[in-house]
Amino acid sequence: MSFWGPVRHTWLHRTNPVVKLGVICLLFFMTVLTHDLDVIIYQAMIFTVCLLLLSGIQPWKMLLFLIPFMMAFLASASSMMLFGKGDTIWWQWGLFKISEESFYRGLHLGFKGIAFAAEGLLLVTTTQSVDLFYALMQKLKLRPKYAYSFMASIRLLPMVWEEFLIRRQALKVRGVQPARGPRRLVVRAGLYVVPLLAQSIRRAHRVAAAMEAKQFDGDRSQARTYYYPSQYSRYDVLTVGLLAAAVCCAYAGASYYPWFGIGDVRFN
Amino acid sequence: MAAEGLREPREQAVSVEGLRLKYPGEERLTFKDVSFKAAPGEKVLLLGPSGCGKSTLLQVLSGMIPKATEVPMKCENRQLPRSWAYVFQDPDTQFCMPYVDEELAFVLENLAVPRDEMKARMREALDAVGLHLKELHMPISHLSQGMKQRLALASALLLEPEVLFLDEPSALLDPEGRRQIWEAVKRVSAGRTLIIVEHRIEEMADYVDRIVLFGPDGVILGEGPPKEVFARYESELKSYGIWYPGVWEDYAASRAGQQWFPRIASSSAAGSLSSLEPVVASSGEGRGRPDQENEVVNPNASVNANRCSREPQITLQSFAGQRRSQPVIALDHAEVFPGDYVAILGPNGAGKSSLLLSLMGLLPSEGTYILGGEHVVKGKRKKLRKRREQQLRQIGFVFQNPELQFVTERVGDEVAYSLLVDGMPASEAEEASRSILERFGLHGLEGRHPYQLSTGQKRRLSVATAMARQPSVLLLDEPTFGQDARNTFAILEMCEQLRRSGTAILMVTHELQIAEMAATHIWEIREGRVVSQKVSPRLHAAESDMALAEVSS
Amino acid sequence: MGVPVKENLELQSRKGLRVSDILVTVLVSLVFGIVYHFWGSVYSLLKPFQADELLYGMWFAAATLAFLLIRKPGVAIIAELAAAHVEVLFGSGWGLTLLMYGLIQGLGAELVFAAFRYRNYSVWVAAAAGAVAALGSMVLDFYYSYTDDLESWLFIAKYGMRILSGAVIAGLLMVLLAKALERTGVTALLRPASSKDYEALDDPRHG
Ligand SMILES: Nc1ncnc2c1ncn2[C@@H]1O[C@H](COP(=O)(O)OP(=O)(O)OP(=O)(O)O)[C@@H](O)[C@H]1O
Ligand SMILES: Nc1ncnc2c1ncn2[C@@H]1O[C@H](COP(=O)(O)OP(=O)(O)OP(=O)(O)O)[C@@H](O)[C@H]1O
Ligand SMILES: [Mg+2]
Ligand SMILES: [Mg+2]
Repeated sequence: MSFWGPVRHTWLHRTNPVVKLGVICLLFFMTVLTHDLDVIIYQAMIFTVCLLLLSGIQPWKMLLFLIPFMMAFLASASSMMLFGKGDTIWWQWGLFKISEESFYRGLHLGFKGIAFAAEGLLLVTTTQSVDLFYALMQKLKLRPKYAYSFMASIRLLPMVWEEFLIRRQALKVRGVQPARGPRRLVVRAGLYVVPLLAQSIRRAHRVAAAMEAKQFDGDRSQARTYYYPSQYSRYDVLTVGLLAAAVCCAYAGASYYPWFGIGDVRFN
Repeated sequence: MAAEGLREPREQAVSVEGLRLKYPGEERLTFKDVSFKAAPGEKVLLLGPSGCGKSTLLQVLSGMIPKATEVPMKCENRQLPRSWAYVFQDPDTQFCMPYVDEELAFVLENLAVPRDEMKARMREALDAVGLHLKELHMPISHLSQGMKQRLALASALLLEPEVLFLDEPSALLDPEGRRQIWEAVKRVSAGRTLIIVEHRIEEMADYVDRIVLFGPDGVILGEGPPKEVFARYESELKSYGIWYPGVWEDYAASRAGQQWFPRIASSSAAGSLSSLEPVVASSGEGRGRPDQENEVVNPNASVNANRCSREPQITLQSFAGQRRSQPVIALDHAEVFPGDYVAILGPNGAGKSSLLLSLMGLLPSEGTYILGGEHVVKGKRKKLRKRREQQLRQIGFVFQNPELQFVTERVGDEVAYSLLVDGMPASEAEEASRSILERFGLHGLEGRHPYQLSTGQKRRLSVATAMARQPSVLLLDEPTFGQDARNTFAILEMCEQLRRSGTAILMVTHELQIAEMAATHIWEIREGRVVSQKVSPRLHAAESDMALAEVSS
Repeated sequence: MGVPVKENLELQSRKGLRVSDILVTVLVSLVFGIVYHFWGSVYSLLKPFQADELLYGMWFAAATLAFLLIRKPGVAIIAELAAAHVEVLFGSGWGLTLLMYGLIQGLGAELVFAAFRYRNYSVWVAAAAGAVAALGSMVLDFYYSYTDDLESWLFIAKYGMRILSGAVIAGLLMVLLAKALERTGVTALLRPASSKDYEALDDPRHG
């Protein structure tokens, strides 16, 4: 997305998107399978540092990371902390109950959320969609019809947004009154959703026709050349090395300087 | 479809015989046994009223129907072009990539052109259409509409087509953009077959070899060299409301034109010109009859007369409309009186729509804005906002895209909705809406979904919803683009009728003829400023006309 | 009398999804993805009280709506992936987990449609698809956030609400939305013409 457009290019920007996607998927699975509280805290910290160093965006935009981070933390941690099973009860109030086990488990989930968010943003802030899809077509043999449908749709999205704004103005002009109550809210949502989707469908259909008019046949494994060649480079190795080092640091940190030292939060 | 070795000459570049086609769910056939062919190198213009099937035929000829869009059809014989390219009407829905070079590369990739040849081929195609960009990697969204259309033409050229299909490529462009695209088309069409659909034909009428004239039901009325067609089918052209060179002059001279758009005397006293009072339409055109209930029926409810006697409807002083806190349209001083009809001209992106939006209170504005004798209140607090919305309710607004302003699921309810919001009792609103739909030629369609109307009908419905409320100010954003002559005149007549009842009208348009024939004032906008406010020839010429009239009597 | 031009059509139905099918699916889902994005911001605030579960069905809406519009195999999965993709693009805190959820949820909905051989577009089937998609997300939750370690009353309430919400929002509401879109006439672009339409070409009344 252009919003995350970098002001300086880092190693990560120069890495082949497919490699990046692969590595980040691995990190992602590693994080899913981590059940140790200390490891996850270190992961969250280290990937956040990586993100701040490698995203290459303006510092003030980095503050925006706080929003997904807070959300990831709260959303993941809260319900487990308040409603999780556990024997050693610390605090109870009606249905809410915090036990030692549920607290640590909740904390674990919160940091896990942050680790996921940082990993995801590492990819998103350093990869242009067009590059990603070009790389997927060339390296992973994604069918062009899927890749180009995504790229074309991303191009069309701002137009949908513009139409949304116009629709809002138009409803004002037509004197549509603000909605109260759930039923009215559904009706009101329909007043937005139906015209916008109808226009989107028509527009998507026209663009598809225009693409086919340009002799695009995403199916027949049409001989294709590519404007942006997708190549592997030494930055791929560097990135893999760097992220591997980050993982090692997380595990090393957890074993030498543990925060809690309680091990597996599933307490089996 | 790519070049397969030797191309032995063919008799026809493209042809279809005995074509029958019907859109699913439509009642009648769009085409019934229609045949069409074009010889290699021939330039053909398809001309016909809106909705007669020109775009559909173009898609059949290219093979897009039924390959890309399935529409039931059959034909006796069909010869598809060996290679072809297509330019569509809307500049924004024919690109799939965000940047100029990526879009052009998309075509080259489809043709499997080696990568190192791509840049050179792109440059070549852009030069051919006269689009000189410093940097190829430029967002398409930064181009003007006219440049986008030339880019579309450039990407069509990359296909090296034998046959080039153009479907109204200039419909959304300003006069300059239109000139440029047609120049580019002429430049690149040497040695190619060219099949064009276009309503506005001034630029191309002399260039094409043959015109194929369609009637309203997808029948071919006749064909031949342009001059011959215009001469032989004059009455058909007129009665079906098709554009032809000189249509404006003919309309102005016609009975309807005389009746609706007479020169307006600038110093007229209402009584002295009763001879000019509109006669109730009897020309059989059946549309737009003057509303007898309106307080002023006299066409001379004119500016200058009003200027002495009445308050201005709108007064603007050091007015500026803003987007993202930046002024995008500025205006030093302007007054609009009841019964004024202001045409707003200017190139794409000059700020015409922004002006209307800020008058409607949809964009923030600065400066003095007096509407109907009251200052329009400023401020963001809820109470102020409510008050402002209340004040601005006296304005009617017609957006550029009609579909986005429909709020109901039936044509019949659409007009009534506006009236109900204004507090009219339901039965009365029903009645009023019926009579308005009738006048706008939309009766019989009450049960349809507004989206299921033709483009021209949607446009008229959107104008109808705004007019039904009898607003004291009406703002219209390019209400006539992509319309055939009949619909254009119908919309203009409806505006004129409202103007006579004292509504002040501001209308954005790219048509100079509209400004000169129908409007009383012409504002010109360039680069975010209203650079001139003139009296239109309609009003201007009046003095000499009047003088003549007096002398002769 | 001419012969119907059907040459490409049979070929196409064998080939499965056409470019326009995919493009429409993806664009509609991206629009949903944006809705999800804002939806997510608002409702994670409700998260501690589990009230968000009642609105969880929204996350499966793209899958059922896309299927109800296009009516072809595969679109439910593509729709969910596309919606998740745009959320990731916007920098959602959930990161790549969303793609995983999208895939499983889409798969759940797809399985239901497949069980009815992609021929049934009724409310019941759509509701079932929404409910099964909810089950899919539940399975992932076990791995991702140990929800099986929640108190059992909460576990049942949480997933009960989610399945209900899947059935109502992704099922009922999306059927209503698809019907509203059908009334606008745009869906005709997406559906193959019936043989009745072809026969109408030879209708003697037109002759
Ligand atoms: N997708 C569609 N579904 C149903 N009817 C359609 C569809 N597209 C076009 N039509 C109808 O077919 C007829 C011919 O349409 P077409 O777009 O070819 O007209 P046109 O001559 O190009 O008109 P215009 O000058 O307004 O572009 C019209 O009556 C239109 O309402
Ligand atoms: N939604 C928007 N957001 C930001 N800037 C905009 C937006 N719409 C238009 N602009 C900018 O405001 C300026 C005036 O645009 P506007 O739409 O008023 O032009 P216009 O004269 O109506 O052009 P057209 O003939 O193409 O309709 C342009 O420079 C344009 O780039
Ligand atoms: Mg057309
Ligand atoms: Mg405009």
